[in-house]
Amino acid sequence: MATYGLLIDYEYCTNCGSCQVTCKEEHGYPVGKTGIKVLSDGPWKIDETHWNWNYFPVLTDLCDLCAERTEKGREPMCVHHCLSNIITYGTVEELSKQLVDKPKQFLMVPQYNPIEAKGAFVPSSKSTHRAAHIEVQGTGKASYAVHRHDTKVGEIDETEELEGA
Amino acid sequence: MSEDEFYKRAEVVKLDTLSDVNDIGKPWRYEEDGLTVTRTSPWSPPGCHPVGCGLKLYVDGEGKLVRVEGDENNPVTQGRLCPRCIALKDYIYNPARLLHPMKRDPKDRGNADAWEQITWDEAFDIIKGEYDRITAAYGRESIVVFAGTGREGGTFAPYGTMCFGTPNFCYTQSGYACYTPRLAAIAYIAGTTYPEWDYAGALPNRWDDERYELTECLVVWGKAPLESNPDGFFGHAVIDTLRRGTRLIVIDPRVNWLATRADIHLQLRAGTDTAMGMAWLNIIINEDLYDHDFVEYWCYGFEQLAERVQEMPPEKAAEICDVPVEDIYAAARMYAQAKPAAIQWGLAADQKTDGMQNGQVTVDLMAITGNLDVPGGQILPGTGAGHNESGFGFEKGVGEELQKKMIGLEQYPAYCMIILNAHADLMLHALETGDPYPIKMGFYAGNNLMSCTSMEPQRWHDAIVKSLEFCIGFDTFMNPSIEASCDIFLPLSTVAEREGTVFTHYAPCTVTAGFMHKAIEVGETMTDFELCYELGRRLRPEVWEDFASAKEFMEALRLGKKEGGKYFDEVSQNVVCQIPVDYYKYERGEMRQDGQPGFATPTGRVELWSTAFNQFGDDPLPYFLEPEFGPANPELMKEYPFILTTGARTTAFFHSEHRQIAYLRELNPDPIVEINPKVAKDLGITDGQWVRLWSPFGECVEKARITETVDAKTIHAQHAWWFPEEDGNEPNLYGNFRSNINNLLPNDHFGKLGFGAPNKCLVCNIEPIAESYDTDMNLIWEKFGKLV
Repeated sequence: MATYGLLIDYEYCTNCGSCQVTCKEEHGYPVGKTGIKVLSDGPWKIDETHWNWNYFPVLTDLCDLCAERTEKGREPMCVHHCLSNIITYGTVEELSKQLVDKPKQFLMVPQYNPIEAKGAFVPSSKSTHRAAHIEVQGTGKASYAVHRHDTKVGEIDETEELEGA
Repeated sequence: MSEDEFYKRAEVVKLDTLSDVNDIGKPWRYEEDGLTVTRTSPWSPPGCHPVGCGLKLYVDGEGKLVRVEGDENNPVTQGRLCPRCIALKDYIYNPARLLHPMKRDPKDRGNADAWEQITWDEAFDIIKGEYDRITAAYGRESIVVFAGTGREGGTFAPYGTMCFGTPNFCYTQSGYACYTPRLAAIAYIAGTTYPEWDYAGALPNRWDDERYELTECLVVWGKAPLESNPDGFFGHAVIDTLRRGTRLIVIDPRVNWLATRADIHLQLRAGTDTAMGMAWLNIIINEDLYDHDFVEYWCYGFEQLAERVQEMPPEKAAEICDVPVEDIYAAARMYAQAKPAAIQWGLAADQKTDGMQNGQVTVDLMAITGNLDVPGGQILPGTGAGHNESGFGFEKGVGEELQKKMIGLEQYPAYCMIILNAHADLMLHALETGDPYPIKMGFYAGNNLMSCTSMEPQRWHDAIVKSLEFCIGFDTFMNPSIEASCDIFLPLSTVAEREGTVFTHYAPCTVTAGFMHKAIEVGETMTDFELCYELGRRLRPEVWEDFASAKEFMEALRLGKKEGGKYFDEVSQNVVCQIPVDYYKYERGEMRQDGQPGFATPTGRVELWSTAFNQFGDDPLPYFLEPEFGPANPELMKEYPFILTTGARTTAFFHSEHRQIAYLRELNPDPIVEINPKVAKDLGITDGQWVRLWSPFGECVEKARITETVDAKTIHAQHAWWFPEEDGNEPNLYGNFRSNINNLLPNDHFGKLGFGAPNKCLVCNIEPIAESYDTDMNLIWEKFGKLV
């Protein structure tokens, strides 16, 4: 099955917030949660007259690429509403070809709730080494250390206890 | 051209990111997956400029709006939407939304718990009783209608003229420092209305239409189009044109996103734009970069203008504006040599005492470079543009005799006559002193002036509460102005609950015309047309005999037809239409009522030497006024060492609206003041710390963002903050005066013609404070996030 993602032309992201708000509306995410979020770098001066100031809409672990919509052949809501029209939905195969068209783009493939996506823990129940039936004799004595065995910090002698038993 | 061609369904221009499964070509209403979908072009409320971005409203079997989507059939917005319409459901079904009329005893003003729900009939009876009593004692001129911005009601002059019959419709911002000074400048100088940049909005194939020429150079001057969608211009059309290769010049005291994409950013000292414009004229004239033919055949007064701008050599402007002189030369040359080139002039033009002169130099630049009425330059509305909204019903509803009593008409006719508005600052005086006569009754028409549109808001608050014996608020939510001063609250319909129209640029420069369709019903709300009609008929039946319904009134005012609503029903099915655009109209007599070539000015030309300015007693040529509050006053600067500029917009809010929409508040939880890192270090302010700002007029607190978007002499502060989650009772009044930057701004510092105010170029001081007023977003979510 093809892998889908979003191609983002961040050259023209203006941080309008439409992607975040439409994502929250679509999924009913409360305050503090979202499937897409705009990160920023800058503004800081490259030199006297030029600035670095970029916004990056990035997909969070709550992005499901609007599965309900894309199932019907429609584009995700952030694609639909983006004011700068900078988000394209498609297969990684198609989108990666478009990366060469212009600079300042990135391609992102989200994973919805990645821990959950791994599924519930299922024990493998592989056969393991079977415990051997061998008789063991105790002496009643042991010494304990950390780091190195020669920096002994304590010892016990339970010989009497053992003998008493 | 017949009117039927005006309201044709616009052709779709599909975005390539839109899937092949889409709704292109769908009718205005259709069914999908058990939902009824209504396509609409929304305007107000929520407040916004009249872009009319395409919307699809999905309604379930129970009549509930369950989904909002951008409509890809709109040729300009193409399915794209800003966060405010995306969150429309949260506005409509917000638990704080008010859906029924209410009354409150005038002695309980400011008591948020004293409202009592009533019926519309009772509300109308109370209003009629008070109206008759007050007008009998003081005359209809004792009524003020407070106008606003961005809401249909905000500029709905028939409230004044036809409903209440008062000459005192009044936008209360000092010097009407918003849009109208620019409209007045172009009207007086070129006899036309708003010269919007030609963004191919009205052309069927948009950017690819064969008549269109791509703008080579776009000057964004004192404007933040991306955030504000100014006056109905779809802001992100600037991004569309950048992608096609248009180059940018940005003139702004702030480094905004567009400024960092500009070939040249002139980061001038706030309030010095007129000097900058004069220097551009100086360079373009002295270096012979102007359009000789256009100047010779279509302009008047070039010699005088050329002489006047010798007073502003670029070197002098560089000093005044605090900008490298070589950048001024480079920018002026780039603008003059680019063909076509356009200027987007912003609100900043209006918000200075010499705002009219700022407008004047801008129009002069557009004219002498030959960019008026050309493809990709500035589109000029022809003779048929506009709705005469302010004059509609004026004669019958107010009449000449009463008009003479309009506050400020005698002193500032160039202001009052062009917009048929009482003068803002003189209205404040009338409210405070009863001079020239007492103001006794008020109505808020889509306006929350104490939070947003009024300077020294505490003064307005006190004057209104003291002077008005009776006051009515008409809105979607409670707000500080209504809480403080109203005795009747009336609930207003949102865009999803109404029919109506939307004309970009408030109609003076229509690019697209859109129609609103009613998708849902919520509570007992009315639209502005309905209230104006229903209340008007009760107060003054004789004025309303011509209209059988509110819809007929709307059809007449907006579409110039009287067909009992049938014409509206027919054309509104097209949802959005591109109004045919044409170029070089002045050559063909399409700019003048008499059909002769030229412009609708006394000389028939673009008046670089303005006969109108001259007649109104202002200088006919542009001049620069050094901001009164600034470096010109060194004593003042000792106490207030920073230039204060205010009001840059965000996409989260429309001015004072939307603070109770959780998803939007999350984008901008607190009132932000931008401070340069050097200043922050000197004053010991850390990023995110709250600070106190004060000027000679007042103070407020905001939250610091340490950023190089402002230079070390400039402070920028957000405007229109109040806190609907807080206690609404006086004196807290939803925290209205705590972070209100207007506390620091004055009244009474407008220009000669009555226009302009220094709202973007004042002075202030600033200090860190220990307290924090950070918004608790969990509280916002708890209070406003659970829709009803």
